[in-house]
Parts: sequence; C-alpha cells; structure tokens
Amino acid sequence: MKELKILYLYPDMLELYGDYGNLQVLKYRMEQRNISCKIDNYSINDETPNFSSYDIVFAGGGADNEQSILADDLIKYKDNIKKAVQEGVFFLLICGAYQLFGKYYKGVEGNIIPGLEIFPYYTEAINDRKKRCIGNIVLEVELQEGNPTKVIGFENHGGQTFNGMSPFGKVLYGNGNSFGNTHEGFFIGNVIATYLHGPLLSKNPQIADYIIKYCLERKYGEKIELQNLDDSFETKCREQILKRLLK
Amino acid sequence: MNIIYMILLKTINIILKLFGKQGGNIIGKIAIKLNKNMLAYFKINCPVIAVTATNGKTSTNNCMRYTLETAGYKVVSNKEGNNMETGILSTLVKNATLTGKIKADYITFEVDESYVPQVFKTIKLDTLVVLDFFRDQLDRNGEVETLILKINEFLKTYTGNLVLNADDPNVARLGKANPDNKKIYYYRVQKYEHATSGMKEAGEGKFCPFCKTRLEYEYYQYSHIGRFKCPNCNYGENQIYKEAQNVDLKERSFQVEGITYKIQDNSIYTIYNYLAVLSVMNIYKIDADDIIKAFSKFSLKNGRLENVSIKGIPTIINLAKNPTGANVSLRLLKEDEEEKELLFVLNDNVADGFDVSWIWDINFENLFENKVTRIITAGTRQYDIAIRIKTSGFDAKKIVPCENLDEAAKELYKTNTKKYVIANYTALQPTRQAIFKLKE
Repeated sequence: MKELKILYLYPDMLELYGDYGNLQVLKYRMEQRNISCKIDNYSINDETPNFSSYDIVFAGGGADNEQSILADDLIKYKDNIKKAVQEGVFFLLICGAYQLFGKYYKGVEGNIIPGLEIFPYYTEAINDRKKRCIGNIVLEVELQEGNPTKVIGFENHGGQTFNGMSPFGKVLYGNGNSFGNTHEGFFIGNVIATYLHGPLLSKNPQIADYIIKYCLERKYGEKIELQNLDDSFETKCREQILKRLLK
Repeated sequence: MNIIYMILLKTINIILKLFGKQGGNIIGKIAIKLNKNMLAYFKINCPVIAVTATNGKTSTNNCMRYTLETAGYKVVSNKEGNNMETGILSTLVKNATLTGKIKADYITFEVDESYVPQVFKTIKLDTLVVLDFFRDQLDRNGEVETLILKINEFLKTYTGNLVLNADDPNVARLGKANPDNKKIYYYRVQKYEHATSGMKEAGEGKFCPFCKTRLEYEYYQYSHIGRFKCPNCNYGENQIYKEAQNVDLKERSFQVEGITYKIQDNSIYTIYNYLAVLSVMNIYKIDADDIIKAFSKFSLKNGRLENVSIKGIPTIINLAKNPTGANVSLRLLKEDEEEKELLFVLNDNVADGFDVSWIWDINFENLFENKVTRIITAGTRQYDIAIRIKTSGFDAKKIVPCENLDEAAKELYKTNTKKYVIANYTALQPTRQAIFKLKE
C-alpha cells in the first residue's frame, strides 16, 4: 500500500479557522483510494522534526498572540525547512503560516517580526486595526498550464502581502493579497501559500488531488492516475456558491 | 425633551404591537437616533443584574428572571434575547413611565459581550455574571482575546458583584482585573461522568493569560471548560463560592451544599448556567425553596434544548452558532444510547457570519458508532455541512442534503427514529416552523 506522510506544524496554536480540515480532506481522499495517510504533529518543545522525510508539510492560521509565540520557535528550523522546500517536499501554508514563510511581518506599531525568508514576499499590517480583508473569495488558479480551475474560499486577514511575484491565483471575487488586489497567494510547483480558509481543500477537491498526485509521483517515481471519487456534494456546493458570487 | 421622545417611542411601540410586532431592537434604534444618551434618562432604583458570555446568555438570563419571579419579585428583563444597546433600550422604554422610572424589584439583562462597557458606563450595574468565552463568528467578532480584553478593561474600575465561571480560564482571569474589588464569586462544577483527560473539541484556554505558560488540566468537562491550573504561577486556584456536586444527567439533578436541585435539561453546559444563577440568587438571599421550585420547572421553549414530539417522534432541537454550541449538542446526541437521526441546518446570513469554516471545528467523529443512522442537511450552506460530515467518516450515502426546510422536515420524518435537530442562528426559528408544521 502506498503511503504519504504529513507533518502538521503547531496544531495546538495554528488552529483558529478550521484549517485542520485541509488535512482531514487529504486523509479522506487518500484513504478512499487505499493510500495510507500518516499525520505527525510538531509543536513547541517537541523534538526537532526531519522536514525532508515528509511528503507534505502543513501549517494553518492562528490568533495573533499564538502566532508571535511560535514565530520565535519556527525560525530555529529555517535551514531545514529551506532544504525541504528545495528537495520538493510539498508545503501547504494557510494565512498566518503563509505570512511567516515570507521575509517579514510588519506590525501596526512598525515592529518587525522576521519571517523564514524562504519566499520573496513580505507582509505589512494595515494601520487601522478594524480594517481587514474579510469575505468569500473566488480565484482562478492554473496549477498546470492550460488547465485553469476556480478556487473557492474565505479570507480574513489584516496583513497586506506584497511582492508575491508568483501568485496562487487571479482574484475573480474578493480582495486577495491586499485590499482590491488582482492576485492572491503564492505558488510554485510544490508550494501553495494562501489566505484562503474554508478550509481551502474542502470545496476544491481538484487542489487536494493535485497535491496527492504530486506527492505520489515524487515519492514513487512513476506516473500516477488518481481514481475518481464521488464528488457530487463538492460539485453542487461549488455550483451553488459560484452562481451566487459570480453573477 | 426626553419626555416627548418617550411619548413618541411608546406610541410607536403600541402601533408595532397592533401589527403583531415585538419591536425588539426598533424602539431602541429610534431612541438612539433621537438622543444618543437615552440610556441615561432612566431612573433605576433596583439592582441591575447582567449576564454576558459567548454561549448561554439567553437561557441564563431567563432562568434568573424566572427564579426571581418564582420568589415573588417583579422583574424587568430583555427575555427575548435582544442583547445589544438597542435591545436594552427597547426593554427600558417599554417598561418605564414617561418620566423614565422603572418599577421593578430587579432588572436582569443579557448583554452582548462587546456591549458590556458601553451599556454599563451609563446604567449602574449591581452584578455581572460571565459564563464562558468561545470562538464565535470570527469574521464578525474578531478573536476572542480582543473581546476579553475589552471586558477586562471595563472591570478595572468596576466594584459591583462579579460572578465568574472558575472552570473557564478565559473567564476566571477577569476576577483579577480590579484587585480592590472583593466581591468576586466563583462557581464551578465537579467532574461529571463524560469528562475527559484530553481536550475533545476546539477550545481557547491553552496558555496562562498572566505568564503565558501552557495550562495543565486535571480534566475537561467540554471544550476548554474544566479544572485547570497554571503550573508556573498557580493561576486557577480560586476560592469557590458555589460548587455543583454529584451531577447526574440521567436523573437530571445536581447538588450544591447538600441541597438537591432537579432540572429539566440533561446537558453539562446547562449545569454551569444553573450554578451561575444559583450564585446570583444566593448573593440576593433568595429562599432555597424558591430556587428549587424554579429550577425544577424552568424550560425555555425557543429552540434551546427544546424537547418536542412531532408525529409522536421525540425530537430535540438545539441552537448552535459556534463550534462549542454544536459540540455540546453532539455530545448530548452521542451520550444518548438510542438510535437517532440528525438534521443540521447551516445558514451564512449576516447574523450568522459569512464564514462557515467553523464547522470544521465540530467534532463529528464516531457518529455512526454512536447510532446515528441518517443525517439530513439544509440551509444556505447545506453542501458545506454535508462535505464536512462525509469527511469525518460518516457514510455519504446516508447524508441527504435538502434544498429547502420544508423538504428537509419531510425527509426527516419519513422514519420513526428519534430526531436531533441542530440549527445555527438565523436557521433556528425557520427550522422550528418547518418542523412544527408537521405537527398539525
């Protein structure tokens, strides 16, 4: 039986917006296809994880307080994480985690929280604490050339992210990386970094399958055709929401 | 000038009544437009008791009102649950004389968490009860911590009675907001039979609010409610005013200081609410017999743990507007050993919050193992909830998403199995109506 291993970073701290659902979706879609899915947790005070030994590394969004506590911890693994990214381990990074992997996060008072500096983007808090990009969001995403797909999620962020260069998608509805932006997130073949909650994969099974396929092909060195699953709930859910938002 | 406003407001109220409208917030909204300091107009000469929390405000407020009324007092209260400044103003206008006098022995209010400072900088508060803080509609309310800090700031200069849940680390911390206030009353509930050693549901109280150390729990009752302590600074060691012992959910009873209280509900979270009410009643020296009598009869028939019979089929309806609300309902369903079916109605209207990702914080695991045989979903997000439940491992073939509530109700009562109904905020009353139609 084929197996994929997932490393879940700070499950007890980055858990505010139901992002853990992404892992449940991945696990579900693997197990339906008889692929075993093993999830290991890492949090503060745990033994150093071997990032390169995993197929997928996942981290979600958290409360401000928790996020500042763990930023100091995460930075210890900067080199290990950089190496894993270069080796092709898949990284799925949502919201706060998306920000942490960039150059820095500049707070309202101008304080700088250094990021892992793995990707070129940086984030700045908006001066008015009450102003946030909040709402449903729809993107057009092209994970593979010539195969665009719509991605549905929910954004809720005060941080404005700039210098994305290689965005995850084009904004069809909602804000994106900053207020009224044309683009959202950051994407390179083995990294999806985005503000999208929902959780992201729950309404976008095509993204979940892209990740699974990528990881299996990388790990087993063969071409993989994933077996189709019954996605009738997902299909109807998408139809309903797209119809409502993209009138 | 205010007296003219009062005449106007009361006239509008009479007109609304003629049209069968409650005018829950409307009167208050107009009042604020007329005079933004309208709250200051009212002359209150009786104790004002307020309850705030994420979950349990309406039930607790009504239970306080009911108990005081059982003891023979005249009580003014926003019993319908209009808990923002406008709702409180409406209640006052309706119950005041034209000169703003309120004739009552007690006033009890439920107040939205974020409105506590605003309302009670004007109205003198005698007792504040804080039940719990959970994550709730993040897109509307922001993080829980922001709300807690707001109330904490208000409490720094507050000198009235403060009744606090000692088993919620987010609530108990408020007892330290004003070191000069000695009138802090902590209540808690002894470990009940389904308490666990680990957290089973999403919760907030992970780190000590004072020294940021990870809190240690002896047990969890539900979510992050339980016996906690900070291993570094000992936060959590509080002098307890009232403690519930021998909680028996099957018998629907608990004991405090040797007195047995029978209640109508059978859920752990409502025991906490009863303890809050009991603490308040003891502060005001209400007779124990009146409390016993009131508790044994109190039941809020508005979709808060409402037990009804539809076509002879027992049905339990409960509101769930956030993960904890849904989790306590599912806890009840899992603790029930009979076979059952579930209807889950999920809306994403303004009052619900547009973000439905909170359903992924609901503990849907093991529903089939706990004898749930079929699940119907409905609401504007019927497919989101269907996907969520499917992903938890429940057989997708036994999940039936329905386009509208009438269809969902019909589908639900095709079988004779016992029913559980969970609905979020704007879904609750329409769901009740759809179900009650089948009663006729």
